[in-house]
Amino acid sequence: MPSKKPPFAKVLIANRGEIACRIIRTLREMGVVSVAIHSESEADARHVGMADEAYEIAGATPVAAHLDGAAIVAVARRSGADAIHPGYGFLSENAGFAQAVAEAGLTFIGPDAQTIHLMGDKIRARAFAAEHGVPVAPSVTPTDDVGAFLAQAKAIGFPLLIKAAAGGGGKGMSIVRSADELAERSRIAASEAQRYFADGRVYAERYIERPRHIEVQVLGDGKGGAVHLFERECSVQRRFQKIIEESPSPGLTPALRARICAAGVRLAEAAHYRNAGTIEFMLAPDGEFYFLEMNTRLQVEHPVTEMITGLDLVRCQIDIAAGGPLPCRQDEVKASGHSIECRICAEDPERDFLPETGRILTLEIPGGPDLRFENGLAVGQAVTSNFDSMLAKLVVHGADRGQAIQRMTAALSDLAILGVKTNVDYLARLIKLDAFAKGDLHTGFIVEHGAELAPLPIAEADSDLALIAAALGSREFRRLVFDVPDPYAAIGGWRN
Amino acid sequence: MALKFSIEGEAREIEIVRRKPRLVLRIAGREYEVAQEPSRAPRGRLRIDGRAVDYIGAREGTTSFVRLGGRTWRISAVDPRDNSAGLAGGSDIRAPMPGVIVSLHKQEGEAVKRGETVVTIESMKLQMALPAPRDGIIARLLKKANETFDKDEVVATLAADPVE
Repeated sequence: MPSKKPPFAKVLIANRGEIACRIIRTLREMGVVSVAIHSESEADARHVGMADEAYEIAGATPVAAHLDGAAIVAVARRSGADAIHPGYGFLSENAGFAQAVAEAGLTFIGPDAQTIHLMGDKIRARAFAAEHGVPVAPSVTPTDDVGAFLAQAKAIGFPLLIKAAAGGGGKGMSIVRSADELAERSRIAASEAQRYFADGRVYAERYIERPRHIEVQVLGDGKGGAVHLFERECSVQRRFQKIIEESPSPGLTPALRARICAAGVRLAEAAHYRNAGTIEFMLAPDGEFYFLEMNTRLQVEHPVTEMITGLDLVRCQIDIAAGGPLPCRQDEVKASGHSIECRICAEDPERDFLPETGRILTLEIPGGPDLRFENGLAVGQAVTSNFDSMLAKLVVHGADRGQAIQRMTAALSDLAILGVKTNVDYLARLIKLDAFAKGDLHTGFIVEHGAELAPLPIAEADSDLALIAAALGSREFRRLVFDVPDPYAAIGGWRN
Repeated sequence: MALKFSIEGEAREIEIVRRKPRLVLRIAGREYEVAQEPSRAPRGRLRIDGRAVDYIGAREGTTSFVRLGGRTWRISAVDPRDNSAGLAGGSDIRAPMPGVIVSLHKQEGEAVKRGETVVTIESMKLQMALPAPRDGIIARLLKKANETFDKDEVVATLAADPVE
């Protein structure tokens, strides 16, 4: 292919970790100079080393540095960047930031501030979806009139799910199964929402039992044109957060797939959506689906869509942001095979997925065809509580779902992240479950299969072999066994 | 000759039965003939009772991390002078991870039931309740709201004698 002039000369990535590394990779391919930002504690981070330039952002905490929009825009201008890619999380769905970037004369690689504002408020976004013929679950918003709120809630029927208008990531969410707990739960959810989002508005919608989480990837040109890149199924969740995503969904018939993807496109077109976005739906067991929310950014799980379509979504984002047309017509988007992503997190699945901290002592990354290990990790790196517990994403592609599962099983077995507890072994057990193989997924999957997902008791596992390996790696034990002077005892032992 | 280890919190002893001609180790009455084969760190290969066993290992201080058979093990050498193993968790309420105190639900001198929340903490954007490990009286609250703490730091203690 003839080399094209890059759409931007220099792009600043207002993010960190695996997604910053992933964006830098595409920028490099496109011949665009990359600019990383980092907090004081991240000077040695992988994304900093990968970028062509890096700037430190001061902040009271590392997260505060990544949320300091004014400082980031100032650095972008100082560095001579012409655009900012926000990644996901942090400022990616902050309308004020998108506005500030535009006002500084820079390009925000994402939708415009008004669209972010519209979709950022779940109550407003639901109303917009309903207006444009996209189904929404029946809902009620609490008011000062508690009696009226209760009456409306009863009319919808229990259980209900309380959500924050400004919410995300499960914060402020709560399932209410009876009328007598509704008022109190709403109050608690509102105070949690106030704390997390500085916006205490909540609403209650019909809770669908055993729903699938299906989302549609769209690309919009900002002028009313949009295409979908099929769906992703993200039903396997813990604490309301996804841990396994795949495409295509094993739960859709071709007809239902066409309907749900068309609904996503309809919403994107109606919003004159620009850039990459994702419309999330709840799919009920009866085949009805309801709009949940729209994420106006690149998703964590975007690689599964890339694996089946062959498109580079970051490249699409950059080209669209530079004023280019959509990369393809709808009839040119083809899906091939099956892709699965596992989110590798520093957490303890046996203790309610509590985040873990530690230091990465060893990192062995699986290889092979049709496999991506998206990460920002470095050996020696501290895993702290400063940031989210997601360390990396393991993504595979197979000719069909069965092959993708086999490939993921092998890849998880080959992956070793030592020094901090992770969910790698848990994911390996999950992916091997019959129910997973059958594609019998819903958002309560992990709770439903809790007992099967528990690790084997230590006595029934290979614990003796592990003990022997650990013992032979310890200097004290080697000294006893081999009875040789200390310096030589270290040979064959592991580095501390 | 035996050395003590703790594997995922459970105590185990590895006994050296013979060194020569082959190394034989005993764990909980089970004997294994062990030979180490050359390998390049962090990978290792043992021959245990003639069977090749591959693993990946790392060590930090006295703690080893071993990935073997699709499972990651955390194994610590137990200092023979340390008698506290197995007795932990009686009176201390420890933070399982670093974070910040969101709220204190009890006051010093107040009675608590086992499982009742004493402190709510937040770490990595997650809130969690720290429960009392047993019935008792709160002896000390060592942190105030909004104060930070490290992993395994004691945030509250119970009085020595459990209340009936």
